[in-house]
Amino acid sequence: MMIKEFFISLLHYFVDITTAVLIAAAIYLTFSGQQMESVILWQILFSGFITALPTAILLCFDPKSVKVSLILWVTHFMLIFVITLFLLKMFGWCRITPFSAFLTFLAVVFIYSFTCFVHYLVDRKHTSLMNQQLKKRYAKMEAIQKDSTIQQ
Amino acid sequence: MRIIIESPQPNDEDVVIVRCASPDQRLISMLLSYQTVNTEITGYLDDKIVRLNYQDVFYFEANENRVFAYYHSEVYEVKYKLYELEELFMPLDFVRCSKSMIVNMEKIEYLSPLFSGKLEAHLKNGEKVVISRQYVHSLKIRLGIEEVE
Repeated sequence: MMIKEFFISLLHYFVDITTAVLIAAAIYLTFSGQQMESVILWQILFSGFITALPTAILLCFDPKSVKVSLILWVTHFMLIFVITLFLLKMFGWCRITPFSAFLTFLAVVFIYSFTCFVHYLVDRKHTSLMNQQLKKRYAKMEAIQKDSTIQQ
Repeated sequence: MRIIIESPQPNDEDVVIVRCASPDQRLISMLLSYQTVNTEITGYLDDKIVRLNYQDVFYFEANENRVFAYYHSEVYEVKYKLYELEELFMPLDFVRCSKSMIVNMEKIEYLSPLFSGKLEAHLKNGEKVVISRQYVHSLKIRLGIEEVE
């Protein structure tokens, strides 16, 4: 069960992160006017997978305290940032300078927020469905209790 | 299907009569679990010993090898392990919501999402409990949204 959930999380985060990276890359390429080779698509897919992996692993932990939870999320964010810098250097997308590191930080913040927001929206939809089911349960129980009162 | 509940005459024993064409396995399992399930457990509060009814328990929580039953405002210690309570109250409306907590579904007012992928259950006494991602699936099954695999 845990393994299945892990792979489902991995897939969801891979899709979301890759979409966000594509949006970021499209914006960058449009404004910079640079031309890229087709290999960048594979590089984006690879970076999506590599950054989705620690996210899926993080979600396997179930910290009890808010403090531990916060520490985990900050560590996770920093890890994603370092991985992204490493990938930038590895793929030769840009030179690592303080300015490019700052821009990468902003891009990671954007991708991170985008992914969290998409997941929040999905969860909100599921929660709304669950609340409807809860209401139905209560309505059924009230009806049974009412019937029971009449029978008395 | 209609559900009719009639009150018996004073001093009469409670009887469950099922009128249906063919009772299926689910119905028989439900009736058997209803017959065998223990709905009362002993709770301890300081030097008081109290019989606790499951219907009044909002949630059970394990903390430092001790398990507590949370009522509307009182907290009683119970001499059960959390997994034992889970097995005991599984046929009733209790559902595991984290490694250390079992919540009474009847006490959930509504649910709301959290940014970390967890859910928050707002209880009828105003308390909030967190439902871990791992246990959201089982809650969905209990609510009839997802099917058992």
